[in-house]
Amino acid sequence: MSDSFKFPEFYSFPPFFTIQPNLATREKQMGLWRELILSYHTSLKIKTLIVHDCPLWKNDQIGRELNPDDVKTVMNDFVKSGHGEWEDDTKTRCRILWRKPEQLAADIYTWAEANGYINSVCTVYELHSGEDVNGMSFEGADEQLLRRALAILEQKGKCTMFKGDSSSEDGIKFF
Amino acid sequence: MAHRRGRAGIGALKKKGETSKFTKKAEEIKTTSLKSAMETVKQLEIKLTKFAKAHHKTIAKDPAFRHKFLSMCAPLGVDPLTTKKSFWSFLQMGDFYHELAVKVAEVCFAYRSRNGGIMSIKEVQSVLLRRGTKFRLNEVVTNYSADDIVVAIGKLKQLGSGFRTVKVGGTQMILSVPTELDNDHVQVIQLAQNAGGGITLNSVSDMIGWEDDRVKRAMDLLLSEGMAWIDRYEGLEYYWFPSVWKDSFVM
Repeated sequence: MSDSFKFPEFYSFPPFFTIQPNLATREKQMGLWRELILSYHTSLKIKTLIVHDCPLWKNDQIGRELNPDDVKTVMNDFVKSGHGEWEDDTKTRCRILWRKPEQLAADIYTWAEANGYINSVCTVYELHSGEDVNGMSFEGADEQLLRRALAILEQKGKCTMFKGDSSSEDGIKFF
Repeated sequence: MAHRRGRAGIGALKKKGETSKFTKKAEEIKTTSLKSAMETVKQLEIKLTKFAKAHHKTIAKDPAFRHKFLSMCAPLGVDPLTTKKSFWSFLQMGDFYHELAVKVAEVCFAYRSRNGGIMSIKEVQSVLLRRGTKFRLNEVVTNYSADDIVVAIGKLKQLGSGFRTVKVGGTQMILSVPTELDNDHVQVIQLAQNAGGGITLNSVSDMIGWEDDRVKRAMDLLLSEGMAWIDRYEGLEYYWFPSVWKDSFVM
């Protein structure tokens, strides 16, 4: 499975597996870890990262691995960046959000404005699979992720949600 | 030699106010020497301009030839890179080196967070190659050499940009940060380069013979500048330098 993912060169750089004491260097390092986690899971289409099962923390080829504390540091940074979401408080399973909900929220609202959906209604299904959404960033998006994005819009007063017959028929009214 | 009394001797001359004659003669000789020196330089410049006119195509296409040409210009105080309107503008070297300098600076900035602001010219070249960046000199797409990059950095340096080159072992590196690297720092980086990987503080003292304080001081700076990364493995601390790790290392 891992053969289909091409590991970036920094993955063979031993210091990558030591959390750097120098702040600026650590910033760079955390960025590289975020990039790696995101691209690995996206390219292999893995939706959930299970912390104790994740093969990324150890590189046998160079004999280096992140210790459990360091894994926590990397994971906390990843979740904080908005690209990951803990399934629960045990912090063992992390949902990968390849698009940040904030970005999707903005994209959805821009699309709604451009396509005359202000003061009009569409369903959750139409949002990820409708004809009007061809080429949009939220086309084919995971329903969970969409709902996160819509919740953000709701919070901003830019839309309101209401129940339909099934979850995918739940409606959204944009303002 | 016996002092002559009377008419000869500086003292006598001074007395007689004839120093002015000598001063005048000395000035005359100076002027003539200067005149003939300037004449020589002028002749050389004429020869150089004829050369440039005759060989401008090769100068544009061949980096090695171009390098030789520039080394002929330097001692004559001729700067074909000048952007002011001059005879030399027909070579368009100013534009070429300006373009090159901009692109080299871009690469250095892009990679600064990874290597701390020190990068080998070779690595810059391979990045530009991978990006497919091309440069034109006198309407012709040209190859550019490490020497060309050194000239371009020289231009940047003139503009007070903080860019400069530093030699680590046999490798030319570009420094794009104001950090002052002294010989100690360069030696440590060179050690890492020779080792082909991470080095410990002990290995530095073993190989160069410095006391621990001195090693630590040098390494601390390199770490704080982001030029060195730390690797904790089996109870030991190794220091790795992205700028010299692997020829084609790209982070």
